[in-house]
Amino acid sequence: MELLRYIYRRLIQIVIIFFVILTILFFLFHLAPGDPVSRMVDPNLTPEDAQLIIKELGLDQPLWMQYLYYLKNFLTGHFGSSFHYGQPVIDIIGNRLPNTILLFTTSIILSAIVGIYLGKIASWHKGKKTDTLMTLGALITHTVFLPWMALIMIWIFAYRLGWFPITGMISEEVWLNPNAGVWWKMIDVLHHMALPLVTLFLIHFGSYLLIMRSSMLNTLKEDYILTGRAKGLSEKVIRDHHAAPNAALPVVTSVGLSLAFSINGGALTETVFTWPGIGRELVFAVSHNDYPLAMASFLLIAIVVLLSNLVVDILYAYLDPRIRY
Amino acid sequence: MTLLEVKNLDINYHAQGGILKAVEGVSFSLEKGRSLGFVGESGCGKTTLGMALMKLLPSNGFIGGGQIIFEGEDILKKNEEEMRKVRWRKISMIFQAAMNALNPVQRVGNQIVEAIMTHDPSLKKDEAFEMVEDLFKLVGIPKDRIKDYPHQYSGGMKQRAIIAMALACKPNLIIADEPTTALDVIVQDQILQEIKSLQEEFQMSIIFISHDISVVAEVSHEIGIMYAGKLVEYGYREEVFESPRHPYTKALLSSYPTLNGEKNRLTPIPGETPNLINPPTGCRFFDRCPVAVSLCKINPPKWVAISPTHKVLCYQCGRECGI
Amino acid sequence: MNADRLSANKKILKRPHWINRFLEGWSIYRKNLLGKIGLVLLIFFALMALSSFIPPKIDPMYEPMAGVDPEISKATAPSMRHWLGTDFIGRDLFSQLLVGARIAFLVGISAAFMSVFLGTAIGMIAGYAGRFTDTILMRLADIIMVMPSLLVLLMLSALFSKLSIWFIVLFIALFRWPGVSRVIRAQTLSLKHRPFIEAAKVAGASHLRIIFRHIMPNVLPLSFLYMTFQVTSAIIIEAALAFLGFGDPSTVSWGMMLQWVWKTGHMFKAPYWLLPPGICISLITLSFYMLGRAMDEVLDPRLRKEGENY
Repeated sequence: MELLRYIYRRLIQIVIIFFVILTILFFLFHLAPGDPVSRMVDPNLTPEDAQLIIKELGLDQPLWMQYLYYLKNFLTGHFGSSFHYGQPVIDIIGNRLPNTILLFTTSIILSAIVGIYLGKIASWHKGKKTDTLMTLGALITHTVFLPWMALIMIWIFAYRLGWFPITGMISEEVWLNPNAGVWWKMIDVLHHMALPLVTLFLIHFGSYLLIMRSSMLNTLKEDYILTGRAKGLSEKVIRDHHAAPNAALPVVTSVGLSLAFSINGGALTETVFTWPGIGRELVFAVSHNDYPLAMASFLLIAIVVLLSNLVVDILYAYLDPRIRY
Repeated sequence: MTLLEVKNLDINYHAQGGILKAVEGVSFSLEKGRSLGFVGESGCGKTTLGMALMKLLPSNGFIGGGQIIFEGEDILKKNEEEMRKVRWRKISMIFQAAMNALNPVQRVGNQIVEAIMTHDPSLKKDEAFEMVEDLFKLVGIPKDRIKDYPHQYSGGMKQRAIIAMALACKPNLIIADEPTTALDVIVQDQILQEIKSLQEEFQMSIIFISHDISVVAEVSHEIGIMYAGKLVEYGYREEVFESPRHPYTKALLSSYPTLNGEKNRLTPIPGETPNLINPPTGCRFFDRCPVAVSLCKINPPKWVAISPTHKVLCYQCGRECGI
Repeated sequence: MNADRLSANKKILKRPHWINRFLEGWSIYRKNLLGKIGLVLLIFFALMALSSFIPPKIDPMYEPMAGVDPEISKATAPSMRHWLGTDFIGRDLFSQLLVGARIAFLVGISAAFMSVFLGTAIGMIAGYAGRFTDTILMRLADIIMVMPSLLVLLMLSALFSKLSIWFIVLFIALFRWPGVSRVIRAQTLSLKHRPFIEAAKVAGASHLRIIFRHIMPNVLPLSFLYMTFQVTSAIIIEAALAFLGFGDPSTVSWGMMLQWVWKTGHMFKAPYWLLPPGICISLITLSFYMLGRAMDEVLDPRLRKEGENY
């Protein structure tokens, strides 16, 4: 089927791009000022232990051999040990990834759905109060500085009102309690997720609303809308069944195009809310010169971005039959 | 029986700079089972006329006066709710295939089924699909294309699908707006023959709109020539086509090349259509008319009856004009 | 009626071409409410930036980075002495805020200028040259666009240690040019086949001349428009970097101020410190955005509201 071939082609593209990124990173590592070796070996190790690591990671070999070692290590998941945590990096980032996926995916889906829905409504009431309100609201929430909004949210809702926890993803009391059921644990996570989710949602839904709104206004000028009216369909049917599915397509494209921006926001949000995700781990690793952890986190984020792009593209192909057939 | 009677219809648009008089004082009638064609260049008001018959004018358009009496009722008096029941069920439209007339993200069959089931909610979906199969057979589209999407259809096939859709609710009147424009000549001819045979077989009442007089002449029993918002000549096809009287009609006919017959020079019509926001008080064709006299500029022309069925809106055409 | 229009037309024809275009654009811009608000806000911020030089001249204790108030050495609320209060080591917050405006404009405009310059050049070359060059350049653009700029900058700062403000500006430009280049490329493609370009080729113009003399002037308005959007993203990226602690430690930007209030644990205790920088970043972003939208209307006739009389 066409769709499968399309996915196949895109996957190959992704692999190629990823290799390009991998290679560039390798060369940056070696070109940057300072001693590359010190970036892969924990400065706290004894010289003997350090030598062992150097041998193991092939850091005493010529550059092209190092590159091969680098690729091999990457493909087998040997990212070294984190300087800070002392554990294998792969364990750490493996632990963090699901948390990021949870927060990130939920926030994007939520903002897209609400943005599309409200954008549709705003276009119905174009020029009237509802529309002006929504458009202004979207504009303002969309331009607020994300980390600052996060701080404000914590200040008001966690600190002053105490409705939500200030940091983290889980409360230890709940998770360490052997009697706590799955439901309780889930609710606990949701409780912690509420503020970061709302923050991410508020920042992103605005742009989807504005795009959907203008997309609807353009779609309503199309010829098939006239056909719908000629067929005697009610305005509601025309808007919901004919205009909206077509108007939503540019919004999906926009979600794909702004994924990089969303990931940036995701990392900032995780950092401020101390949500244990990959983004936060990267920021943390970089601030502490934990190179193995930083590099692996970055590469994992790159994979996440590339795959999310693919998911959005597949979604678009599913929604627009002109791509599929 | 008179299916449609239009009396003194004025259609206007709100435009930058004033009110644009797109159609002025148009009157005609259509009997059941007959077909009528409107010919004119772009901007003459023929499409506006077609839209108005279904009350489908865009938001800046409005009826300035007159009546549209369909099956005995003035549809201009109907509200939107009532009009929806009339649309498609009683009067339907065949759009230009080159338009985006079909929703690109919906299957073609579903769009026709939607039309059917909107006007007959008691039908079940598979019954409706059966009807679509019959319609496709009628217009010559293979059955297995029902579940396809519009972009998978060729131009000719899309036009047939649009025709099928227009026939779906068995309307009493069909308005065909440039249904063969933008198709290549061979397909154009096929579609025209289809429409002609459908019209004869089912005795459909059709209003055919086109800028191409030869196309209209193929399908219509009667022809109306429109210029700058006004009807300028009207009569049976043979009368208008073979003995045109209005200078514009004559110019239209001589601006088309013929495959047979003498090789004549093509004579384009010099000049431009008048501004319809401030239309001239006299004859609107005055600037471009080869036989106009000063009277034509000052006084709007009156209808002159050449025969009981053929009339012309021109001072000079009471007698033979010598073009 | 006709005589008036005739004399008005004569006057228009006498003026230089670009003045006419500017005035025409202005009359359209003027009608856009949001555009006017945006412009007013930007002028306000510009004044802030310009007056950032004043406070240290009044008293050295108002130095944003190094100013020490002999009487205050912790965070205090606004007072007559310090209009917005002081930060955790007694530095004046108001002068910090003013300098932040200066940095925002500096970073925003230079990064935007650089990225638009790069993007326009690359876009024109890719669009004009076509085929292989085009494919390579656009693939490169794709790869860069996919990457989250902030996080890449983080990695870069890890490898190249602390970044100076100019490095940050350069790197921002290196990340934002793809967006511009795509649009410019599209425009170039549509211009490439126009008759006047063909005519220039026939007359023997070299490729370079065609690009700079014929294509560039038609593409520049678009570049200019994109500059406003680039300014907003540059300001936000710099602010986010500074917020995370990777900004230039020798400058005070709004993002840096937020970093301090957050990291020193004052975020719950000192709203006078927490609120102003964030509001400023958000507002300047909003105003550039509104400016850009209004300019969009000027440049793209399809977006103009109906009912204008020309």
